Amino acid sequence: MSRSERRIINCYTRLECKLCKNTSKRKFESGDCVFQNMGKCSECDADLIVTMIFGEIIE
Amino acid sequence: MDFTSFDLGEFFGIGDDFLSEMMMLVWIIPIIIFVFYGQRIQLIISSNDIKKDIDKLEKFKNDSRQKLIHYIKNTLNPKDDPVKKIDSFLEYFTIMPVDLDPNGIIPKINHLVHSREDFTRLQVKSLFSDISDFELTKVHNLLEITTSLQLFHKITRHLYLTAKKQKNFPLILPLQMMIPFIMEEANALKDAVESMKNGQPMGDGIGPMVVGEMMLGASKQSAAFETVWAKSEYEGRELLLVKAEGPNATVGRPGEAIENIIPQKKPDLIIMIDAALKLEGENSASIAKGFGAAIGGIGTERFKIEEVATKNNIPILAIVIKQTIKEAITLMSEDIAKQAKPVKTQIHEMIEENSKSGQTVMIIGVGNTLGISQ
Repeated sequence: MSRSERRIINCYTRLECKLCKNTSKRKFESGDCVFQNMGKCSECDADLIVTMIFGEIIE
Repeated sequence: MDFTSFDLGEFFGIGDDFLSEMMMLVWIIPIIIFVFYGQRIQLIISSNDIKKDIDKLEKFKNDSRQKLIHYIKNTLNPKDDPVKKIDSFLEYFTIMPVDLDPNGIIPKINHLVHSREDFTRLQVKSLFSDISDFELTKVHNLLEITTSLQLFHKITRHLYLTAKKQKNFPLILPLQMMIPFIMEEANALKDAVESMKNGQPMGDGIGPMVVGEMMLGASKQSAAFETVWAKSEYEGRELLLVKAEGPNATVGRPGEAIENIIPQKKPDLIIMIDAALKLEGENSASIAKGFGAAIGGIGTERFKIEEVATKNNIPILAIVIKQTIKEAITLMSEDIAKQAKPVKTQIHEMIEENSKSGQTVMIIGVGNTLGISQ
């Protein structure tokens, strides 16, 4: 198996609070999409939105 | 140096004894074999390598077809067994318009491409009693991936078999040169299936991601099929933001959208943001600025944008985010996603440097907007 075929890509979703700019990263869940509102921030109760969905390569 | 004493017999190992005659044969026989069979030997060596790649292409094609069928059957609840219909879609071909007289060919190509898209969409829709636009566009894209892999396999196999059948070595040379590029694209397409099924953004979505963020909170209107626009404001300039309608797996029709918007709102500047293929040696996710319509595809959308911009004397500037073909069509990498903020800053700089307060600037995010809303 070649090196590129052995690569495992994990997909993550980054959430950011619109007010306090607190960010968190979690595993991608089906239905996630960028700029989706994901409820309220636990710190300041402002809107929490998905700012990016991206892949990380684990060799 | 005395060249007259040069002994040819000694040089070739030809002497009086039996061993020397045998040595002569060792020299001569391979020369005779290579003179008469050299091309065939090269053909065998080259065709063995190509055959391995063709087998890989066949595997990619079969795997993507299987994954598509499995996805439709297990996730989307089709009306009937979709296998027969899917196999028939994969065999569809497109005959491009005759280009002996190229005048007026763009509307013909545009018509053909749109007809094909509309037809495929209807066919996919007919597989289900009810399907959302999000899933419909995903299946449409998956079908395109499988069709492309099937086409790659068919064409390379045809060239390979023709060269073998004719025992014609020069015929295999163009294929030998092209196969690394074909395999690179095929590998990218094969890997794109998984992220497409999951509805995850791809590297090509960086343009819609930047513009989608600028659209947040603004009211969106339809600009063309699967394309939206919104108004915003920056430093006294009115911004007209255009992107494909997310989070569907579509690139929209930005050319048509601009044709529809410009009669209502004439911008003083157009800025286009797109992913661009990086050259070997360039860094992935690097940003470059330039002039002209940054949009790929068959060329019809770019033609429309250039046409309307020229007619209205509107300059077009571009910002591109460099990436490989694989990065462009598979899950967006963190490096590319992180460039959204620097790109937005560069858009603002471009607006300040190239327009005045009170003017209107159109910003178009070009690319597949799968997994990216607005």
